[in-house]
Amino acid sequence: MGVPTAPVVTQRFQELVKTISWKKGMPKQRFTFIPHPVAGRPPELCNQYVRGKDPLTGKPIVEEFVAALTNPLTAEEKKTGFLMRDPQPRLLEPNTPTALIDLFEKNGWTDGLPIILPTEERVANMLKGTSHKPDEIVGTMRPSPPHEAWEFNVEMVAANAVMAGAKPEYLPVILALSSTGVTSLFSSTTSFARMAVVNGPIIAEIDMNGGIGAMSPLNKANATIGRAWTLISRNLGGGAIPGQTYLGSQGNNLNYNNICFPEKEDKLPAGWKPFSEQKGFKRGESAISTFTGWEIVHGALGMGGNKEGLARAVARYSTGAYRQVTLLLDPIVANDYKELHGFQTKEALSEWLLKNTPSPAQGYWRDHPDQMKQAKSGVEPFATWLKYPEGALIPASSLRPEVPVEIIVVGGETNAFMQMGDFRHVSTASVDKWR
Amino acid sequence: MFLAVISIIGNALAAEESKVTVVNPRGTPPPIRLVPMAPRLDTLDGKTIYVINIGFGDTFLPEVQKVMAEKYPKTNWIFRRKAGRDYFDDDPKLWAEIKEKGHGMIMGVGH
Repeated sequence: MGVPTAPVVTQRFQELVKTISWKKGMPKQRFTFIPHPVAGRPPELCNQYVRGKDPLTGKPIVEEFVAALTNPLTAEEKKTGFLMRDPQPRLLEPNTPTALIDLFEKNGWTDGLPIILPTEERVANMLKGTSHKPDEIVGTMRPSPPHEAWEFNVEMVAANAVMAGAKPEYLPVILALSSTGVTSLFSSTTSFARMAVVNGPIIAEIDMNGGIGAMSPLNKANATIGRAWTLISRNLGGGAIPGQTYLGSQGNNLNYNNICFPEKEDKLPAGWKPFSEQKGFKRGESAISTFTGWEIVHGALGMGGNKEGLARAVARYSTGAYRQVTLLLDPIVANDYKELHGFQTKEALSEWLLKNTPSPAQGYWRDHPDQMKQAKSGVEPFATWLKYPEGALIPASSLRPEVPVEIIVVGGETNAFMQMGDFRHVSTASVDKWR
Repeated sequence: MFLAVISIIGNALAAEESKVTVVNPRGTPPPIRLVPMAPRLDTLDGKTIYVINIGFGDTFLPEVQKVMAEKYPKTNWIFRRKAGRDYFDDDPKLWAEIKEKGHGMIMGVGH
């Protein structure tokens, strides 16, 4: 922009802003630091902070603002050109397996669990799972938009697939997942989770499990494909350095495997499409879909289901910052919604929920300031709704029409259970392209 | 005696662990293009400085504007909240306004 700027940030993010400034090509930005946190702090306290001292430098904050805007630039601050990165050799220096595992762990190249070393032989064997050349570029990935994107090729993905314990026949799925460029370790203080859902003939070919225990650690393909996504996000996506390229305050345990499973396609109710077909792929094509969210919760609604009960359960996701929900229905539940409630397609159930999911009162008023004004002016039904006690459900949906309620059928029909989470669909990629 | 022999054999085996070559599991980070910082102001007097909150906490940056206006009354301090829900959302209209009317800015990021 060419406008002199004095950036100010809370002291907790000192390391982060130094890293980002470097990555944005302005490594000497003149930051002022203030106490952490400031979100939700009263104005009086913030006023004291402004009149106080930078907790890191000990200098008055006001003076630092002025200095940042008026002190002449140094030669370092005027520099142009490039900051070159250390070259990445294709092979590491030969060493004993014990020493190499130690190296991988010390450098943060693992997820903390034991890995299989990606020896040349193992990676060559893994590459038999695809017809693509080892040096073909698969894509780029970054921990979050402020960070630079790292580039990676087929062999690099294969090396991480070996580390995760995957078999060569899983490689097309892992390459497809990598090609989306979606990191599983998104760098946000809110600690995102990810989900990966596989559709198509590849499910049977590599023996993935969409039945009993599909989301439990019971199946090698489900487990290692999901794990590979996290290793790839660390090693090929430039992520997972706490404080720099990973900021999740509490982290998210779902990232170990990223809820990786196939849809139970052979148990879909007649007329309900596989998820990939909903996203434009043909029946018979194999594809993998990525989702972003934070949590998964159980919803035991009982045999026979109850669409109003489902809508009330979904209501927990209908207000707030993201207003997004994905349902994971056991085939029993899916069939109930079709046979007992008449939802002939996933889309019909999704649209019904978009229209009929009620909204928790507090969140509804936050998300609908115009309706709040009408309520205060006595306009009905808003005026009546405004009298509802805190925690009550308002009979109006706050779900966003542009973010569909996604529905996936998964499970082994041992109970009429379902799960749901604040996930939304991000991307779907062809697995067949990477065979 | 027996345990000592076992220990010696074990140490010998560890010492003989053969070396292997592994593929580097790391991707390729791009070079970083350096961006020179904007020239600084010779004085704040008579200048317009924007105080921008990009969206984390709504109480701190307004106080910056108040305190700076009190301490530097010859400067025009303007507070603005960037449009959008969070820090990912761009606000080209605001950036254009600052470029046209402003001489500098204080921008608040982080929680």
